[in-house]
Amino acid sequence: MNPVLVLGGGPAGLSAAAELASLGAPVLLVEKEEYWGGNPRRWHYSLLAPDLLPAEEVLNPLVSRVEGAPLIERHLRTTVSRVEPLSSGFRVELKGPETSGWREVSSVVLATGFDHFDSRRKYEYGYGRYPDVIDFKEFEGMIHDDRLTRPSDGALPKRIAWLLCVGSRDVQVGNPWCCRMGCAVSIKQAVEVRQKHPEIDTYVYYMDIRTYGLWEDLYWKSMNEYGVKFIRGRIGQITQAEGGKRLLATGEDTILSRPTEVPFDMIVLASGMEPGTGTKEAAQLFGLPVGPEGFLTPKLSDLNPVESGHPGIFLAGAATGPKAIPDAVTEGMGAALRAYKHARG
Amino acid sequence: MSVVAHLPHRTPTLTDTEAAHPPALELTGRRPLTAEERRTAETIFGEFRADGRYREYVLGCLNCGECTTGCPAARFYDFSPREMLQIAAVGDATTLWDAMQEKIWACCQCYTCNMRCRFGNDIAGIISVMRELSVRHGLESTRRVLAPFNRSLTLLMTVGTQVASDMIQPDFFRDWGPFAAAGEKSWDADPHLLRQAIPIDVLQTTTSSWEVSVQTSLELFRIYEEAGVLDMLRGLDPDLTEMLIDIIEERREEFEEARTRYHSQLAAMHGPVATFSG
Repeated sequence: MNPVLVLGGGPAGLSAAAELASLGAPVLLVEKEEYWGGNPRRWHYSLLAPDLLPAEEVLNPLVSRVEGAPLIERHLRTTVSRVEPLSSGFRVELKGPETSGWREVSSVVLATGFDHFDSRRKYEYGYGRYPDVIDFKEFEGMIHDDRLTRPSDGALPKRIAWLLCVGSRDVQVGNPWCCRMGCAVSIKQAVEVRQKHPEIDTYVYYMDIRTYGLWEDLYWKSMNEYGVKFIRGRIGQITQAEGGKRLLATGEDTILSRPTEVPFDMIVLASGMEPGTGTKEAAQLFGLPVGPEGFLTPKLSDLNPVESGHPGIFLAGAATGPKAIPDAVTEGMGAALRAYKHARG
Repeated sequence: MSVVAHLPHRTPTLTDTEAAHPPALELTGRRPLTAEERRTAETIFGEFRADGRYREYVLGCLNCGECTTGCPAARFYDFSPREMLQIAAVGDATTLWDAMQEKIWACCQCYTCNMRCRFGNDIAGIISVMRELSVRHGLESTRRVLAPFNRSLTLLMTVGTQVASDMIQPDFFRDWGPFAAAGEKSWDADPHLLRQAIPIDVLQTTTSSWEVSVQTSLELFRIYEEAGVLDMLRGLDPDLTEMLIDIIEERREEFEEARTRYHSQLAAMHGPVATFSG
């Protein structure tokens, strides 16, 4: 049997590769970055919502399952540059430091993932101009490494705000979808801050809280156990105050129907999920259709979310839309099973 | 009938009897509509929802409040673009009527709300539709609100600008605050002179660039007449409308005289020429 190509080494790709190996199928696992684990590893995710489990406890077993499987041929810093269809399967050209050239594969799992929204595009929030306006993907690393200090002066912040839906649910920037995890991750970050530093005041500015399903528990806990405060309404612009020492968040409290101006030491932007660069490239490379949002579209999103509609190409994880890690892992398993069936013929 | 039903945001209709015997005044804090006002409110509501621009401007609202954040009027008045859009989207005849009394005139039509809106609503646009309706129906409150702006309105209708150069002075614009007034002194120059020095690239002084030719003025007025703007204004302020017509009549005569003079001069120089009609 020719190996199954798994493109992408994030949670979905790692899960698919491990699952395929457990079924006895040879796997060719290709990742363009120089590490396994995708975005969670890239940004050093701290605890994971909603169970506040350290990200390592989820990522490390995934990676070690893959590394311990002799059936999996792994390549970091490697990309697929060309694809040709065969009567059954594909011929793919790999480019990387360890391996280059054409390989035959029996089927393909695309687990090419997402990119975080570039918050500079919402210029009114001053990200990239004011050092204490931080994207929440960077904030993950800060709490993970226990360096909760203001980039501008190294002091411990006294009051932090989270602003949800930055680059999500926003027709203006062309991203009308919900990122699904921004609410939970922001609330989780506020809880982590309050766990370590109960003296820090934490506010979450929201227009809706979407801690869907069982994740709602985190939302309630954040209020009644950790004292996180919620303000219904968005910050519309961020400026500097007190000679650049603090940030001034101008917004509307839409429950009181009053404009508000609050000084903060740090403001964290919950940047949304966009189709990843790898996902866009894969769509072009394999000639797959993308939806109006730019994500890959399964042929039957209800009945079979892991099949692309093109024989032998299967989809998993955030390549088809914003997704939490457990969902990406599950889809990796589903795609693995379908790819295995296709490879067996 | 329970009092709650008569809160302003919940009352779809009031019968004439109910309007004559106001319920729950202490709760709503506003005078109930008379039967005639109620009829006008219903008509305005119907026209508002049927307006072709409505579907284009009012798309949906997540109530995020970013429009109000950037709104200069919201900083000074009890005004919120978010509230105006909500009224436009889900309000009834009474809520729309209430909003059209004074609130719509707090908007400065800067369109910052539109720029900020993540849903792409045209909030300033829908407010201008409300303003148009309030003028068209000659609402008493609109008359009252617009009364102090007669000079601006006259200029707008006759020459197309809202202010004349002599109006740009601290005395006219108290909201400039002390700095503008102090600045005038510290520059130690006649503000008139300073303003004249601004548009170097076009070699136009502000005085000359503000002058409007009589043809432009007449053409502008003709557009107002044909587009029904003059009729709209007549409903609101008949006296002002008559005055405007007088001003324009004078200009028309002035123009006719000038044209006759021009033609007779031409004839004296070159003999009779074909004249243009109209």
